Amino acid sequence: MKAGMKFTLKVWRQKGSDAKGKLETYELRDISPDASFLEMLDVLNKQLILTGREPVAFDSDCREGICGTCCLVLNGQAHGPDEGTATCQLHMRRFKDGDTIHVEPWRAKAFPVVKDLVVDRSAFDRIIAAGGYVSVNTGSAPDANSILVPKQDSDLAMDAAACIGCGACVAACKNASAMLFVGAKVSQMALLPQGEPECSRRVLAMVQAMDKEGFGNCTNESECEAACPKEISVSNIARLNREFLRASLCAVEGKAGGEGA
Amino acid sequence: MSWLLATVSASIGKKQCMALSGLALCGFLVAHLSGNFLIFLGPEKFNAYAHFLESHPLLIPAEIGLAFLFLVHIGLAARVTRENWAARPHGYAVKATEGGRSLASGTMWLSGLITLVFLVLHLIHFKFVADDAKMDLHKLVVTTFHSLPYVVWYVFAVCVLGLHVGHGLKSAFRSLGLEHPKYTLALLWLSRLFGVAIAIGYASIPIWAYFFTRTLA
Ligand code: HEM
Repeated sequence: MKAGMKFTLKVWRQKGSDAKGKLETYELRDISPDASFLEMLDVLNKQLILTGREPVAFDSDCREGICGTCCLVLNGQAHGPDEGTATCQLHMRRFKDGDTIHVEPWRAKAFPVVKDLVVDRSAFDRIIAAGGYVSVNTGSAPDANSILVPKQDSDLAMDAAACIGCGACVAACKNASAMLFVGAKVSQMALLPQGEPECSRRVLAMVQAMDKEGFGNCTNESECEAACPKEISVSNIARLNREFLRASLCAVEGKAGGEGA
Repeated sequence: MSWLLATVSASIGKKQCMALSGLALCGFLVAHLSGNFLIFLGPEKFNAYAHFLESHPLLIPAEIGLAFLFLVHIGLAARVTRENWAARPHGYAVKATEGGRSLASGTMWLSGLITLVFLVLHLIHFKFVADDAKMDLHKLVVTTFHSLPYVVWYVFAVCVLGLHVGHGLKSAFRSLGLEHPKYTLALLWLSRLFGVAIAIGYASIPIWAYFFTRTLA
């Protein structure tokens, strides 16, 4: 095993949503190169607790890269330097011994800081509640293959459905735009026959909900795609734009104008 | 009509209006440059073309249309940019690119603003001084470009414009939902090529005038 590593951390500390925060500096030594970034923060917190200080609040859950809970901006990159990797799957061997690492929360008006590195991402939940679902009758389950889906469509829908809703797209975007998230959620259903009946109402309602939360607009830079731990493609943003245009111009007014418009 | 208002005031709708006006303005850039190239053919051809435009009955409607496109594009640019800035009230202490950003895409508001300043100065120098139909426009252009600072500024501004449309063209296609693996890559390169062509095309005239028309003036 490689010897323990040394790091200087500059961590955003903020007592509560209304408090003024600042970057605090911590020195860490003897960190295993095989520790994940979150395990390294666990070591820091243990150290803080043992010296009677307040531990750093940060979000984590599965620590397997699939739940979308962890959310740190490391040295200015959402989820740190590795591609297609969430913060929890990033390991300290990725950094150099003695590195200084800036640890900041997602920054967006729509994602207010709750405490330290924890942000409130319920804006995403409200966008999903506005239309990110398929209405089905309860009762006996329909036959799985009663509607055939072309392989290429199901593949594209699966790619879009890989989104774990972590919000890295928003964090990385210079405009704090949620277009990649909404694009993925609209696409995964627009591509499948089960989602098709509600697709016009859905896209209009979800875009309206997105705008209400105060996310920015899309400059088509593709920073979001590069930051996404699930490598969701910006072609989903193009599909969202296409769906929006089609629903706005071509959908039957009553249907499109229901809850959405 | 409420659907129309809802469409153009949604985030995506605003960007789609910017994309449409931006694409139309790209068309204008090509048409304007094609006309300008007549300057290489000498004073008679260029002045004849200028006087043909000045006296054309459709000139005023065309100018109104063009002004409308600029107003839509600039008005929405101001709104969209303000919203984008407001969406992140607290910035990062350290920000690094993830790998998607280019110089052009990161500076669209700035390149747009420089283009606007350029546009206003351009109109002052070449349009509003030259309202006299009998004016020798060829001479006006050539002598204006004998000033080195002016040539430097002009070349700088059209390079910035090239940067703007170099990202803008492909961005506009995506804003309108036009994307498919079969042409996405081609569109990316077409867009970059267009930006370079616009910059070189527009820069060629002041550079030519500065270096090769001293004796004419
Ligand atoms: C001949 C002049 C111009 C042309 C051909 C042009 C073209 C374009 C195009 C094609 C786009 C892409 C639209 C999209 O992303 O969907 C764009 C974006 C933009 N333009 Fe222009 N434009 C011109 C002048 C201006 C001016 C004068 C301004 C501002 C003062 C401006 C500000 C912007 C901004 C801020 C954006 C990016 C919006 C964003 O962040 O997504 N443009 N332009």
